Amino acid sequence: MDLILDFFAQMHSSAGILMRWDVVLALLVGSVGGVLIGAIPGVGPAVAIAILLPATFSMDPIVGLTVLLGIYGSSMYGGSIPAILINTPGTAVNALTTYDGYPMTTRGEARRALSLAYSASFFGGIFSVICLIFFAPVLAKVAPMFGSREIFLAALLGIILVVTAHRKHTLIAAAMACFGIWLNTIGLHPASYSKRYTFDQSWLSGGVNLIVVVLGLFALSQAFILLHGDDEKIRLTKMKGSFFQGFRELARHPRIAGASASFGVIMGMIPGVGEFTAQFMSYTYAAKTSKRPEDFGHGSSEGLIAAETANNAVPAAAMVPLLALGIPGEALTAMMLSVFYVHNVIPGPQLFQNDMDFVVALYIALLVLNVLVVIFLLIATNHLIKVVKIPNKFLGVCILTLSFVGVYSLRNSVTDCVLAAGFGVLGFVLKRLNLPIVPIILGMVLGGIMEVKLRSAMARVKTPYDFIDRPIAMILFLMILFVLALHLRRVMLDRKERKANEWSTSHASISFETNLSRRKDFLLTERGKKVRERRSTFSRRSTDKR
Amino acid sequence: MSEISDDPKLPKRGQVLFAALFLICATLLLAAIGDQTKWLKGKDFFAQPRFWPGIGVGGMVLFTALHYWNLPRRERRLPRWMREADWLQWAESLAWAVIAGGLALWLGPVLAAPFVFLLATLRISYLYLHKMDWKEAKAWLSVLEWAGWFLAYVFLVPLIGYLPVTLVFAPLLTWRIGYRSRLLLWSSVVFGFVVVVVFKSFLQVKIPGAALYEYLPGALRNFFILNF
Repeated sequence: MDLILDFFAQMHSSAGILMRWDVVLALLVGSVGGVLIGAIPGVGPAVAIAILLPATFSMDPIVGLTVLLGIYGSSMYGGSIPAILINTPGTAVNALTTYDGYPMTTRGEARRALSLAYSASFFGGIFSVICLIFFAPVLAKVAPMFGSREIFLAALLGIILVVTAHRKHTLIAAAMACFGIWLNTIGLHPASYSKRYTFDQSWLSGGVNLIVVVLGLFALSQAFILLHGDDEKIRLTKMKGSFFQGFRELARHPRIAGASASFGVIMGMIPGVGEFTAQFMSYTYAAKTSKRPEDFGHGSSEGLIAAETANNAVPAAAMVPLLALGIPGEALTAMMLSVFYVHNVIPGPQLFQNDMDFVVALYIALLVLNVLVVIFLLIATNHLIKVVKIPNKFLGVCILTLSFVGVYSLRNSVTDCVLAAGFGVLGFVLKRLNLPIVPIILGMVLGGIMEVKLRSAMARVKTPYDFIDRPIAMILFLMILFVLALHLRRVMLDRKERKANEWSTSHASISFETNLSRRKDFLLTERGKKVRERRSTFSRRSTDKR
Repeated sequence: MSEISDDPKLPKRGQVLFAALFLICATLLLAAIGDQTKWLKGKDFFAQPRFWPGIGVGGMVLFTALHYWNLPRRERRLPRWMREADWLQWAESLAWAVIAGGLALWLGPVLAAPFVFLLATLRISYLYLHKMDWKEAKAWLSVLEWAGWFLAYVFLVPLIGYLPVTLVFAPLLTWRIGYRSRLLLWSSVVFGFVVVVVFKSFLQVKIPGAALYEYLPGALRNFFILNF
């Protein structure tokens, strides 16, 4: 109880930070900008945050972070608009919204779907922030228990979770994570002052900047994709009805909304898991417990609530590992970490002990943000939906122009721009091949953390068991083993399923030659067995001794 | 599309080529590890400067090789005489033995291993690369044009100035990608102007004044260097 009272006192002092005009402006810009960016398919929060990162370096940490958090938290609200109206998710995490949102639009219930999505998102956002506000004092107690080895293990767990989350691409995701780890090691090794992979080039001795890689992989590659592709013809439907009906409808499904928001909070807190798993779990839960499971995927309001509540509960929760341990769980929080570093605010246990005002101010900012976004959307949706019509290729021009500001303003270095263009091409190739990009960024960030923490942890470790003799280290170690075992089991099951499919189907694309060869194999083995068996029945081999 | 790939979401064209290229680069980096990193005597194993690059590059080679191995592939259809000629297979095996043995004698077994692996990757890639992969590679190369536009923009800004280059670059690129409508061309000009004003004039991001601004008369020169 004392903890909570302390916390409310803290809230009072943190509210002062948020009353500054620049923070209020940042909140407004972040929320409105985030909604707009989310509503334009093809841009997404990662592109926007990557571009804005260098610009936020010159701002106060709380102002810069509020803008970025605003974009992160509100882009999913905006992303639901094209998902529902034109069946194209505005941001990647709105993909599940199209399942039930678009069928509702085709039934003529676009406004109902939108209003339901807004209210579900609002509930998810507010629920997670409130959870975290009550959870923060506990976190402040637990976070100091994390020493070097615990942070190393948590980062390792994060990287393993990110890799295993890429189902069917696990191996290449692992390779990409290792690529990120390697990229981070380029340059001067701080502990021994020896050069690593600089190839005697002076421009490499400073290392590869994370922001250059982020801008290349996310912003430039997206610009290339848009410039390379074609424009889509978009038709918008007219909307009728009230936007407030969603709140009434949401109130009729408290169980699904509550469960989905809880899934969002829990999954958000685990590094490397994020929105997709949270959505998947809450959608499955909603479908299994619904009275009308057959409606899911055909315009079910419960499905829409589950998807939108879960994804909006994640951003606030994702700040937990970032603030408490300094470990980002996904690409967007990894980008935000660089803002902390630039301002010499090192996230981690000390932040909770010394700078609690700052942490609470961030949470309150998130709370206010959700309210602002919903008010903005309720007023402006009719005008906002026009941004969906901006042609894709033109967006590519815009992103390319903006990317320049992002890369060049960092250090005014042409080399950075050339490197970013190189990473842009790599990102383009990876996106075209549907291969994962996020592990590269997390490999870079978590690789750096692991290197420092392992070095300091090993100084005090005599036997391997010493590494995990503390309770939290042991728990983390067991979690790593559990995740690996789970993944191994899934790989085996997938393999079994694939083998079964291989043997059961005979699809038209098999070539004539393959058919002949299979026939030959069959004649030689399967049919051969039958023939031999038949013959052996009629003329049994004599067992008499000769 | 799903002829080779068993995962319908995974496009097949280009997968083998990408895996091969990535594996080749990773192997070359692994081969360079002795030259590019140091192993310091008396230092703890985990604090060695070579430890983390080793994890990174080693992981890249291992996981990409496994990914390559796991990819659904289609073997190149060799001419009939090649398929049937036993002597060719014998000759190839012999050539491999000579190459591996020769490299091991010349460079030592540890240094030779990555190169033998590299050659084997090239040989295998020859077997599994397909026409479709090269078509995909063309698409990858075509993107270099947009990268070129971006770099031209980067090179011109310090010479001519952020505002003038942006005001020309945005509509020119809009024209290049095929838009001819006045609305979009003017929108691109307005967009360029807004970007410069917001970032350079308002947010004051670090973009240096151009060489051309030096020729402007006194007050205008300062104003341009500061704001545009």
